[in-house]
Amino acid sequence: MNTAENESYSPKKGAVISIKDSINKTIISFFKGALEKKIFDAVLIPVKVPAGDSYTWILIEDVSLFKDAAPIAPIMPVQGANALSSLTRKGKGNLKIAAIMRPCEIRAAIELSKLEQVHLENVFLFSFDCPGALPLSDYVQNPPKGEEVFESFFTKNKWNEESIKPICKMCDNFSLPNCDLHFGILGTEKNDLLLIPNSIKGEGVLNEMGIAFKNDLSEWKKKVDEIKKQREKTKKEAYHTIQPMVEGLDNLAQTFAKCIGCHNCMSVCPICYCRQCYFDSEVSKFTSDNYLLRAEKRGGLRFPTDIILFQSGRMSHMSLSCVSCGMCEDVCPASIPIAQIFSFIANETQKAFEYQPGRNVGEPLPLKEYKEEELQELKKLVNDSVGQE
Amino acid sequence: MNNSDILIIGAGVAGIEASLLLADTGKKVYLVEKTSLTGGNVIKYEDVFSNMECSTCMIAPKQQEVLQSENIELLTLSTVEKVQGEIGDFTVTINKKARYVSLVDCIGCGMCYDPCPVSLKNEFEQNLSEKKAIYVPCPGSLPNVPAINPKHCLQLNGKKTCNACVEACAFGAINLSDKDEKIEIKVGAIIVASGFDIVDPAGFPQFGYGKYPNVYTAMEAERLYASNGPTEGEITLRKGDAPPKSIAIIQCVGREQQGYCSSVCCMYSLKLAHYLKHKLPEAKIHNFHSDWCMPGKYYQKFHHDVKEEGVDFIYSPVDKIKVDGNDKGLSIEYYNGKNEKEKLSADMVILSLAMMQGKDTASLSKLLGIEQDKKGFFMNQGIQLGAVDTSKPGIFLAGCAEGPKDIQGSITQAEAVVGKVMSYLS
Amino acid sequence: MSDKIGVYVCECGPNIADKVDIKKILAEISALNEPPEKIIIAKKHKLLCSKEGQDFLADEITKNELTHLVIAACSPRDHDITFMNVCKRTDLNPYLYKLVNIREHCAWIIPDKDEATEKAIQYIRAGISRVTYQAPLTEKELDSIPDVLVIGAGIAGIEASLSLAGENRKVYLVEKTSSIGGKVTKFEKILPHQGTDLDIIQEKIQAVQENENIEIFTETEVEKAIGFFGNFEITLKNIHNDEQKNEFKVGAIVVATGFNLFNPGKIPRYGYGKMEDIYTSMEIEESNFKTGKILLKSGNPPKSAALIHCVGREEKGYCSRVCCNYMFKIAQYLKEKIPTIKITEFYQDLCLPNKADQKFFVDTKNKGVDFIRFKDIAVKQKEKEKFIEYTKIDGKKEKISAEMIILAPAIEPADGSKGMAELLNISLDETGFFQEAHQKLNPVATSIDGVFIVGSAQNPKNIPDSMMDAQAVAGKILTQLIPGEKLIPEVIISEISEAFCTGCQTCLSVCSYGAIYFDEDKNISIVNEAICRGCGNCVASCPSGAAHSKHFTSLQIYQEVLEAIR
Repeated sequence: MNTAENESYSPKKGAVISIKDSINKTIISFFKGALEKKIFDAVLIPVKVPAGDSYTWILIEDVSLFKDAAPIAPIMPVQGANALSSLTRKGKGNLKIAAIMRPCEIRAAIELSKLEQVHLENVFLFSFDCPGALPLSDYVQNPPKGEEVFESFFTKNKWNEESIKPICKMCDNFSLPNCDLHFGILGTEKNDLLLIPNSIKGEGVLNEMGIAFKNDLSEWKKKVDEIKKQREKTKKEAYHTIQPMVEGLDNLAQTFAKCIGCHNCMSVCPICYCRQCYFDSEVSKFTSDNYLLRAEKRGGLRFPTDIILFQSGRMSHMSLSCVSCGMCEDVCPASIPIAQIFSFIANETQKAFEYQPGRNVGEPLPLKEYKEEELQELKKLVNDSVGQE
Repeated sequence: MNNSDILIIGAGVAGIEASLLLADTGKKVYLVEKTSLTGGNVIKYEDVFSNMECSTCMIAPKQQEVLQSENIELLTLSTVEKVQGEIGDFTVTINKKARYVSLVDCIGCGMCYDPCPVSLKNEFEQNLSEKKAIYVPCPGSLPNVPAINPKHCLQLNGKKTCNACVEACAFGAINLSDKDEKIEIKVGAIIVASGFDIVDPAGFPQFGYGKYPNVYTAMEAERLYASNGPTEGEITLRKGDAPPKSIAIIQCVGREQQGYCSSVCCMYSLKLAHYLKHKLPEAKIHNFHSDWCMPGKYYQKFHHDVKEEGVDFIYSPVDKIKVDGNDKGLSIEYYNGKNEKEKLSADMVILSLAMMQGKDTASLSKLLGIEQDKKGFFMNQGIQLGAVDTSKPGIFLAGCAEGPKDIQGSITQAEAVVGKVMSYLS
Repeated sequence: MSDKIGVYVCECGPNIADKVDIKKILAEISALNEPPEKIIIAKKHKLLCSKEGQDFLADEITKNELTHLVIAACSPRDHDITFMNVCKRTDLNPYLYKLVNIREHCAWIIPDKDEATEKAIQYIRAGISRVTYQAPLTEKELDSIPDVLVIGAGIAGIEASLSLAGENRKVYLVEKTSSIGGKVTKFEKILPHQGTDLDIIQEKIQAVQENENIEIFTETEVEKAIGFFGNFEITLKNIHNDEQKNEFKVGAIVVATGFNLFNPGKIPRYGYGKMEDIYTSMEIEESNFKTGKILLKSGNPPKSAALIHCVGREEKGYCSRVCCNYMFKIAQYLKEKIPTIKITEFYQDLCLPNKADQKFFVDTKNKGVDFIRFKDIAVKQKEKEKFIEYTKIDGKKEKISAEMIILAPAIEPADGSKGMAELLNISLDETGFFQEAHQKLNPVATSIDGVFIVGSAQNPKNIPDSMMDAQAVAGKILTQLIPGEKLIPEVIISEISEAFCTGCQTCLSVCSYGAIYFDEDKNISIVNEAICRGCGNCVASCPSGAAHSKHFTSLQIYQEVLEAIR
């Protein structure tokens, strides 16, 4: 396990790799080489479906399957952490697997590893500077257009904030998650990208591949910071807009009025790992009498019932681990900005516990850990309101 | 004859602990208590040091267990009058005073208190408040059944015909023709857990207790702070309207005279300081100390924390402290570490008094045929082996009856006695 | 199958009868009667907790063949157990009953009779709703093994072994060194102050060796201890030979692993390890025991000695309790063996918690030992002479020379305490000593049922107190682990649904009792019914509701609340 080592690793140098054909193709050729050298036994990577109108995760052993692979795919139809969870939930395998995923997918995978839903031994995590993903519905309506738009992020070397998911627009965590190796695609002058080791394990891979990593990272860091600043600003503005949508029961009710209770958001969320969601269980099913009574008391009763209970309940269960990946918003048929809402709440709850999901494999989830002194600001609030202890 | 019933004298924490462990094995336990309630001294405290846990909440479950146990016969208002026999075969005569209220029929509704025309000082509340002739010592007493004081009850002392309480009771639980009883029991072993008393502050006139109204004993201060106490937790003084702005706690009172350190006063003095800092955050609190006795892994940290709260610790040999008073308040004269005389004014003075043997120790030891040690406590024959034997086989000691100790020590000793009793009786 | 629910309202004299309209309550509750699925019998009684009331209830249950029982009366704190016992007299399972508090929650706090009545009706309806979702629960009986494992053959371990061993109870005494007796075998004299000498200890050691119910393993460690109160599987390992193992089962484990002395070398100003003739108290005791003499390195008796208390007290943050007394003892050794010696004892506070300690201090003083209370202290050396430089309580700085310096270092938990705690799933507190179950009321037990701690492993203490701890443990074990008797674990415990558990182990990490284990094959968490205390932490932490409490299921609580807020 690369856990302990990762905790204090800080990358100083990277390897420069010339881009041949396209960034995606360059990354693929790295993996091809690695597979051939038997550094990994398989690679988990997004691949374009035969019909050409979507992408799916494929665990590739045969290099010929790389033909339609796209490490940096325009959309995120399935959260990478979920794919990794299917693969490793029942324990680590004996094969060495390289998984290349977006930073939010890496973070989610690490959160799931704390919940025994992903086992990271024998898994090598790769990531890249993520320009964001296109909204799923936009892409599927016109895949060639989607491909064109996404392509332009790289050919013009300019990330286009307009076309990506709203949640991606405000993502300041788009670079260097807690992975083993990171493809730095920003900030290189010529037609290069940087392959940056981010753990001892990652260094090991480069050594085995015979790839020296002697290059300076400052240019890349500068470009990353530039975009980060932009994104932080957007985030602040976005949260400002979201806040009134969720403050107070009235606003919440209004925001979720069009929720149809399909539970799509819960189904695709990587952090929602329960076999049966609490809100699908018997406790959320009531007798006819009960519904009639509620209708009687309030004058009427909306169906499906208990929508706010579901939304806030799901929030309370997963917000500490929410990585703001936006899967939920992608699949909401009612077009509720659910990812932005959850991201806003998660930001608050994570701040309260001084916790960041995916930052550190060894860092326990706040729920699993007892700290005698915490939530001091809450303590103070309570004391002030009560007037005495 | 090997009788496996056990007599425990005293229903404080040590007596309660021993009785519960023994009752669990199916043995019959007679738990004899001279007052009308269980809990001993511990229930007089609001919190206990050093985890500052609510004292009554802490032992109420144990008190309840005692009341509900099928194997424990709790005899309150009872004392031991005669003891004959030897280990395995003691015959004990118990003098059970009349409660005048049925423990079975009374449900503790409290309707009988108001109509009673007689008030008298409440010793449980350290005489800081009064109770009626029909009374429970404090709210939350267990058993939650009142007793009647026959000396003060008008009907019982013959001064006047009065049936006020009887009429107020809807359950017919009050019986003024109740009589004292003599009960004879046979037991195999006796555990003396009769607790402790505090030295009389009148023996230390230099501190002005009794002379100046705002000089208190630590136990009085405990009851002032207690939320079920005479002032419901408000620190109101005997003289003056305002709460005290400066308080002096004088530790080690009686240590020299008794010839031993009572081992718990430093800690409870810190506890009092902590209580008062909490209740009166603006007040200045000064603890006058000589040696800090804080043995073990927990206590020093409490000392550190209380200091951080802003309590002032003043080193001063206690034999050089004097308290004077006038209209404006109290003045403490003391000698500091440099042996210079200093003065400090205070609105309230609290005396941390030494622990001494319980009042009944001399008579009880004669009755039981066991010895007292040089300090007046019951003599522990087996001390070098950590034992709790007395000079008579079959009679054991637990808790502060054996010597000053904290609650943890009393519980450990009670459990050790149970171990001994189990070994002897099996 | 229809529900036949008996609802009995207690008048409790005037307490309830005067404050709520019982007639109205009975009318409204009876109106809930819905034959044939739900039959409600509603009656009142003057005083249900009385003998007569209890008989009445038992009769009603049997006569009406009730399937459920609801009692509207006082607080469960008063009479929950009373009415459960009534059920136990009949065929009705005691967990198919609910006590609704209409006294403390309604009659006693709501002055308006109508309002109080309304609330009482709501509460009772809620209770009826809840009770129909309750499931019968039965007490289990577990076989228990009366034997005990004692870890550590110091004086506490030896005393525990002697107090526990008997015809029907075997004690396994495990010691990692090659001899038994621990630290106390190295003292010429032991306290208390009758100047008791070692015969007593030697007698104990001999007794434990001769006792046929005690099996002693020296040079042995505990490798595994898995199970629960009444049934622990123990594996012992020889420290020199990994292959040599012993396996057996016990019902309880006593940890008596003792202490170590803090290394005064960690505080440079005491000069320990740097200057000659600076010793710890233990070093003096050991060399004195071996030779009967206390000598300088040169072989000569010291002309002057400085005894320094409280070494490491501030750094460790606690007072080690025993050092003041044993330093008086050492001073008395010195005076006895070297009558002309000049002794100065330096202390910060005198800790004399036992009845006879103060006298012992005075006696020591009277033998000519000087006592100085210090604020700061340091040991300095100039050429061959050593000096104690100290600041007194009055602020004056002084110095005194001493040929021999004896330090009383703080007492620390023994090496390996952390590993021992992990092995047994018990905790260490912030000072590193083993943590007791409750600071005041349960000092020799731990949060794991059946694992006990005694002696200085729990808290620094002297020999009599360590032996007292051992006997206290005997008191606990002799009353709770009785040969031939079964253990009855808690009934209202948690359970984890196999179908819904995802194996995230969140419940495991919040269980304070080690009652949940992870099944590697099925990849799910399972509650050990023998250990679970029903605290509900796991239930609260499980997001899917796979972990649930047997008597407090979400459904039960929801249904009760829904009725209550109707």
